[in-house]
Formats: sequence, structure tokens, C-alpha cells
Amino acid sequence: MLEVSNLRIGYGLAEVVHGVSFDVQAGECVSLIGPNGAGKSTILKAICGLLPAMGGEIRFEGQSILGLPGHRVAHRGISMCPEGRQMFPEMTVLENLQLGAYSRRREAIKDDIDEMMTLFPRLRERSGQLAGTLSGGEQEMVAIARALMARPRLCIFDEPSLGIAPRVVDEIEQTLLAIKARGVTILLVEQSVSMALRVADRAYVLEAGLIVLEGPSADLASNEGVQNAYLGY
Amino acid sequence: MIIDFIQQIFNGLVVGSIYTLIALGLTTIFGILGIAHFAHGSVAMFGGYLAFFLISTLGIGLLPSFILAMACGALLGVVLERVAYYPVRNAPPINSFIIALGLTLIIEKTNLLAFGVDQVIIPTPFNRVFSVGGVTMPELRVYVLLTAAVLVVGMTLLIQRTWIGMAVRAVAQNRSTAALMGINVNSVSMFVFALSSALGVAAGVLIGALFAVAPGVSEGLVVKGFAVLILGGLGSIPGAIVGGMVLGVTEAFAAAFISSGYKDVISFLLMIAVLLVRPEGLMRGKTR
Repeated sequence: MLEVSNLRIGYGLAEVVHGVSFDVQAGECVSLIGPNGAGKSTILKAICGLLPAMGGEIRFEGQSILGLPGHRVAHRGISMCPEGRQMFPEMTVLENLQLGAYSRRREAIKDDIDEMMTLFPRLRERSGQLAGTLSGGEQEMVAIARALMARPRLCIFDEPSLGIAPRVVDEIEQTLLAIKARGVTILLVEQSVSMALRVADRAYVLEAGLIVLEGPSADLASNEGVQNAYLGY
Repeated sequence: MIIDFIQQIFNGLVVGSIYTLIALGLTTIFGILGIAHFAHGSVAMFGGYLAFFLISTLGIGLLPSFILAMACGALLGVVLERVAYYPVRNAPPINSFIIALGLTLIIEKTNLLAFGVDQVIIPTPFNRVFSVGGVTMPELRVYVLLTAAVLVVGMTLLIQRTWIGMAVRAVAQNRSTAALMGINVNSVSMFVFALSSALGVAAGVLIGALFAVAPGVSEGLVVKGFAVLILGGLGSIPGAIVGGMVLGVTEAFAAAFISSGYKDVISFLLMIAVLLVRPEGLMRGKTR
């Protein structure tokens, strides 16, 4: 479904992603893991059209999306739940969800809103509240629900547990598993490697802009190098 | 005394409604692009001259001329955004600042070349004067107030209740995430310039009918517009509405009860006071 090949990205003249290739099949949940600064979020931004690539190719459902502006990528069916939640702070929870469905604005979205409120009952209570006044965990739920409102064929999550209270992190893990169970194809970047390997079917380990290891999550979880570097055994 | 009071409130609201129209455009543009669009007053004056030209030279009716001038204003706004501001959208803010100053001069001098140096008054057939309980309400002023009110309410509904309005607010609050939602940020910028410039032109036509369109009027207008922004809070639409009315009424009171020579002094003292006491603006923090 998503094929990234030999992707190179940089800021100014400094290249930070040096030819990365990976793919996500339909219905799969794939995770990119690795230390801070490895280039994980940079890759996601390039897929979503927020950063230009220096070389390589990104294909979605067989067609190149490299160099498309962000809104065109969204229209192709890729949804992003960005790092740091990125609320529209002075809009209500309901308006944030409606904006998630912006590319489907000619359709009826009332049922989708209702579905999200059922998935996240707390959002129903808060639907009239300004998103900027919510707690971090609640904002993360808005961000996830907002990404799902687009009915994406591929949903990308960038660090959903970053800066969230530990108790709520478990809730987010359950939510990701629930979304996966609905058949949504997922690309997940997550600093909590143990959580990423529990949720994802396959994972790629990224270090300093290069993929150093890949395989099914269970294999990586029992890999000695991964255990030492990321799982803290 | 109470009649005088109400009379000045009425006068102030008429002028304030025009300030609001100018400020709405400035505040929306600032909110979305972070640009201090100084040329906005010159765009308004261009609209006033254009409406005068359409009415007195081409003989087109008042209302069609008004609408046509607003449409031309919208088009001019899109051209300004594309040609002048779009190329520097990722450059340091000083670039768009200097471009804004340059544009002001260009449009101002183009107005001079195209329409001449004489002041013009847009002719209207509204010469009746109503008197409501001792308060004098010239027909023209009532219509100016009503026209501005319709435009302000229309603009507010557009921004608060429609998809494109929601897109405008989304881009103002979080630009890159707005793109992730599928919003075309460039189209939104053009839309905002079109809408703001059309409202600016409307203000120019109303000024032309109420007072006069003349070289030099635009500077005062844009300064008042920014004063309203500071009063109400940068980027805030309710702030522009309340700020415009407050500024208009303050000026009217200053002119009536102190001296008309001091009305600008009083209004700017008010602005300085707001900056000292409530620098976030009168409406910030309470509204979205």
C-alpha cells in the first residue's frame, strides 16, 4: 500500500535520512522505532508532504506522492496524527473533529462524529470545550479521533504517547489496538519501543538515518540488540 | 444632555462601523499570514474612487457600483497576495513588512494617477433626516450603519459557520496541521485577501459617501484600523468589532464634549491606555 524506497531527506544542506526503504501492506500495522534524532518524524513529515525529499520515491497505492503538497496527500487517503497533538486550540473539540473530515466535507459526517464519541466517551462530555483547555491525554484522543474522521486508508501516528501521563499511555495502547482491529492500516512511530512492538505486526529499527534492522515485532522483541538498546532488559 | 449622549453614540457607531470593516480585513490577514498589511487603507480608497468613477462617469447605479467595486477589490486582493506576499511567505517577517510599505506607496500613487488629486464625494440620493426622540439621524448615516452591520454579520457568519470559515480559523491557529487536514493553505490565503479587500473597498465607498475620498485619507484609515486591532486584540474578529465601535464612540465623544481638534489625540490615548493596562486587547482570552 505504501512503498518508500531509497528516501533521502535533509534540512538545508544537512542530510538526516540517508536512503531509507520500507513498506506497509494493506491492513498491516508497521512501526518505525529508534532513538531520538534517528529521522523517524522527518520521514513521516516527508510522506505527508510537509517536508521536501532530496531523493528517492514514495508511492501510495501504486502512485507517486513524492512532492505533493500536504493537502493533496490528505486527499489521497493518508491521515496523520501529528507529534505533540497539534490541536486547533481555540476551536471546540467538535470543530476539531469536523476539521478531520475536511476532505469529506461534502458528505454527511454526523454518524462519524457519533462513532468517535462512542470510541472516546470523554470527548462527548467535552465536545463544546475549547481543545486548548483539555489535558494532554484528552488532546491525544482528539488528535486520534480527528485523524480517523477522514476515514483514511492509511493512518500515521507520530509519537502518540509522548508527554502523556503513564496511566493514559495504556489507554492509548488499547485505542491503537482497537483501531487496528477495525482494519485500518497503520504506520506508527513511537518512542515507547515495548508498546510499539506490542501493537505493530512488523517493525523497522532506524538509527542515524538508516534502517539497521527489520522484521516481525515478535522477532525484534526477542532480539538481543533491540533488548539491550531499547527494552532495558 | 441625555439626548446629546445618545446622539454621540449614534454618530460614533456610524464611524466605528467603518473602522470595524477596515479592521476585520487587517485582523484576518494578520491572523492567517502574520502580515501587517499597511496597504489596506489605500485599497479602501481605491475602492472609493472606483465606485465614484462607475457612478459619475459610467452612470451605473449606486448599488451595482458598490457591488462591482467590492468584486474588483476582491480581485485586487488576490493579485496582491499572489504577486507581493506569496513569494516571501517563508522569508523573515521584515520582508513582508517592507513589501507592505512599498505596496502602500504604489497603490496610493496609482490612485493619484488614475483618479487625480481632487477629493471626490460619492453622490447618493439619501438626503432625508430622521429625528427619533430628539436624536438626529440623517438617512445616509443610517444606511451606512446598516450596510456595515450587514457586512460584519455576514463576515462573522461566514467565518464561524461555514467550512471555508473553519478552514480560515484552522490555518490561523495551526498552519501545518491545517494542511494535514486536507486544507489548501494557499487557497485559504487568497480567499482571505479577497474577502478582506472586498470589505476594505466597502469601507472606502461608505467613507466616500459619508465624507470624501481624497489623497491622504488612506493613511489615517490604516492607522485607525491598526488602533482597532490593538484595542480588540490582534487576530480576533470579535475584537475588531468591539474595538471599532469603542474607537468610533470615543472619537465622537471627544469631538462633541472636548474639541474636534483633539479627537484623534483622545482615541490614541485610549489605545496607549489599553496597551498599558490590557496589552492582549479588550476581547482576548474571553473569546475564540
